Amino acid sequence: MSIPPPVKNRVLIIDDNPGDIFLLREMIEEDPNSRFQVAGEAGTLEEGIRRLQERSFDVALLDLQLPDSRGLDTIVQAHAAAHDVPIIVMSEIDDEELAVRSVQMGAHEHLLKGRVDAHIVQRTLRYAVERARAEAQLARERELLQTLLENIPDRIYFKDRESRFTLINRALTALFGLHSPEQAYGKTDADFYGQEHAGEALEDELHVMETGEPLLGKVEFENLADGRKSWSLTTKLPLRDRKGGIVGTCGISREISQMKEMEEQLETERNLLRAVIDNLPDLVFLKDIEGHYLLNNMAHVRWLGTTDPADVRGRTVYDFFPDDVAADFHRGDMAVADSRKALINQEEHMVDAQGNHSWRLTSKIPWLDEDGRTVGLVCISRDVTEQKRAEERLKKANAELAENREELLRAVRNLQQAHGELREVQLQLIEAEKMKSIGRLAAGVAHEVKNPLAILKLGLEFLATQKPADEQTPEILQEMGEALERADNVIRGLLDFSAPKQLEVKREDLNAIINNALQLVRGEMKNGTDVERDLQSNLPPLPLDAGKISQVFVNLFTNALHAMDEGGLLAVRTFVKQLTGVGTNISGSRSESFRVGQNLVVAEIDDTGCGIPEDKLAKIFEPFFTTKPTGRGTGLGLSVVKTIIDLHGATIDIRNLHEAGVRVTLMFQS
Amino acid sequence: MNKKRLLVVDDESGFTRLLKLTLEKTGRYVVREENDGTNAWLAARDFRPDIVFLDIVMPKIDGGDVAQQIRSDPMLAHVPIVFLTAIVSEKETKNEIGGFPFLAKPVSLDSITKCLAEHLGSVDGGTV
Repeated sequence: MSIPPPVKNRVLIIDDNPGDIFLLREMIEEDPNSRFQVAGEAGTLEEGIRRLQERSFDVALLDLQLPDSRGLDTIVQAHAAAHDVPIIVMSEIDDEELAVRSVQMGAHEHLLKGRVDAHIVQRTLRYAVERARAEAQLARERELLQTLLENIPDRIYFKDRESRFTLINRALTALFGLHSPEQAYGKTDADFYGQEHAGEALEDELHVMETGEPLLGKVEFENLADGRKSWSLTTKLPLRDRKGGIVGTCGISREISQMKEMEEQLETERNLLRAVIDNLPDLVFLKDIEGHYLLNNMAHVRWLGTTDPADVRGRTVYDFFPDDVAADFHRGDMAVADSRKALINQEEHMVDAQGNHSWRLTSKIPWLDEDGRTVGLVCISRDVTEQKRAEERLKKANAELAENREELLRAVRNLQQAHGELREVQLQLIEAEKMKSIGRLAAGVAHEVKNPLAILKLGLEFLATQKPADEQTPEILQEMGEALERADNVIRGLLDFSAPKQLEVKREDLNAIINNALQLVRGEMKNGTDVERDLQSNLPPLPLDAGKISQVFVNLFTNALHAMDEGGLLAVRTFVKQLTGVGTNISGSRSESFRVGQNLVVAEIDDTGCGIPEDKLAKIFEPFFTTKPTGRGTGLGLSVVKTIIDLHGATIDIRNLHEAGVRVTLMFQS
Repeated sequence: MNKKRLLVVDDESGFTRLLKLTLEKTGRYVVREENDGTNAWLAARDFRPDIVFLDIVMPKIDGGDVAQQIRSDPMLAHVPIVFLTAIVSEKETKNEIGGFPFLAKPVSLDSITKCLAEHLGSVDGGTV
């Protein structure tokens, strides 16, 4: 593998003398290692210029004796055609003056024809090309620097040891409001800025020059003389000469007012957010996936028992709570982080770092990064102890209310019962009023009827003493007398029924009253009627109106005897009974005045008579209701019985016996 | 024979006439009827009865008031008074009204003679 020959520099020869051209070509290309080759020839300046404009040549050899141009003007025209191509003038005149003028016109070198050899030509060509290249490089670099200075929005300056401007770029020129940078040269910051900035800048520059240390990235407040203000980020460097001595400073400064403003906005926003969370009474905090606190509001900081948020940041629950409590907290947090599901408003009982108890509503929300990974937890916790207490109080109040309601209901029931009793009393009063009216009616009727009856009776008795007109007369008088008796009985029953309902109560022996009543009805007993007495001997004395109770038994015995026209058995029993429950033996509206456990005195009267038709049983206590044939009963007997029994607070029950006859049961409270 | 004098005060003239007829027929009583209660006292003063039968319920004046008038008259104070009434039964009043004996209408001749005998002493023999 051979190394490819180096690219040779291309040479243009502008000369009209073939002999000279031949010689030059010889000198240039004779050495095979020459870096040059003759790539073009031109016999006239016009052609030379055309070839130069092709821009394919690295160097030109120019004769000053051309047919279309002679002398120095030739150089000027050729140089103008291609500034960057170095031109070497080949002259036949050895004139130092001309040589100097050639170089001033743009030639690179002035060589004398006939005085040169290959070595000289080669060397001259080499130097020319190298210098052109160096100059081009320099020019390019200068151009780049210039471009940078002119186009960069940052402000750049150079100053001497006295901090006077020696160079400023376009941006700074514009800032100062100048037409050209030169207007600033020789002036200082004090000419353009207010004292505040100018003074500080000067101090900084003196410091840089004194120490040789650069000032890097300083944020400066700049107030211009005309009142404008701005913020900038400035770097100042020492300027050194070749020997390293400090001769001044240079600096670059970037306007950052907008950044500064944004930063301030961010700061303001951050402060506002901070104000929000710090003023919330709720605990607000953020922790990373390992449980380190990243952000805590003041409420949380205080809850953890400190006042400085810095004491909390980066630490974990283990730093503030006993291990077992902290482990509980941490487990709960990890469960939420693992589940990636927010836990909202969980009610929990907590004890803070100072040992204060509270009920809290806590929410924990997994904090996800852009890829959806859990990187931490956002937590907020609210003290609901007061609400909890209020809730408890409410519950208690509700319970009390329910209890009060029960009491109220009980009271209502009592009232209803009382109302019922009142109604009953009212009915009794109405009944009493009715009875009074009946009483008055009965008295009136009795008076009006009994007087005529009295006359009839006396008249009958008078007639009975006379000699009878015929043999039927005594019988007729007898019939009339009985009819009169019946009429009198009805009136008497009516009077009994309506008699004033007041009892004369004394402690009486029920058995004695019964015996007396049996005595009174002896006249009603038919032949073949037996009486059986089974009266318990040691009955307690009862509060009774003896006269009225006697009437009760007389009426009841009379009924029983009337039911047994053919004779039969009248059985009377008395005994004490303890009430074990409200049973079938108790009936009537007064049964509720008996209480379980109470001792009752019971009287039972059984007969073996015809009984009471079942459909009539319900009516037996109604006045003027009777099952007896006309003339035998007034229909008032049982009404009177019922009235008297009711007045005594006793009960009466009348029912047919299975075998035959009727059983009357009376119960008295002892 | 000394006949006993009975004053009967009752607004029922049929009753007083029959009583008078029946009793006087025995020959042992002189009966004076008075059908106006307000005249009863004067009639008693005039008639000087051995006993007075007095109806309770009468127009214009009550039997009780008449009894009061007679009782407060020194000349009559000792005369027994028996009430006649149509509105109470014997059972209820135990044969007395305000301390006075009474007879319930309609009254039998038997009861009347028993009553008279009781208050006037035994009347010799005979039957009604």
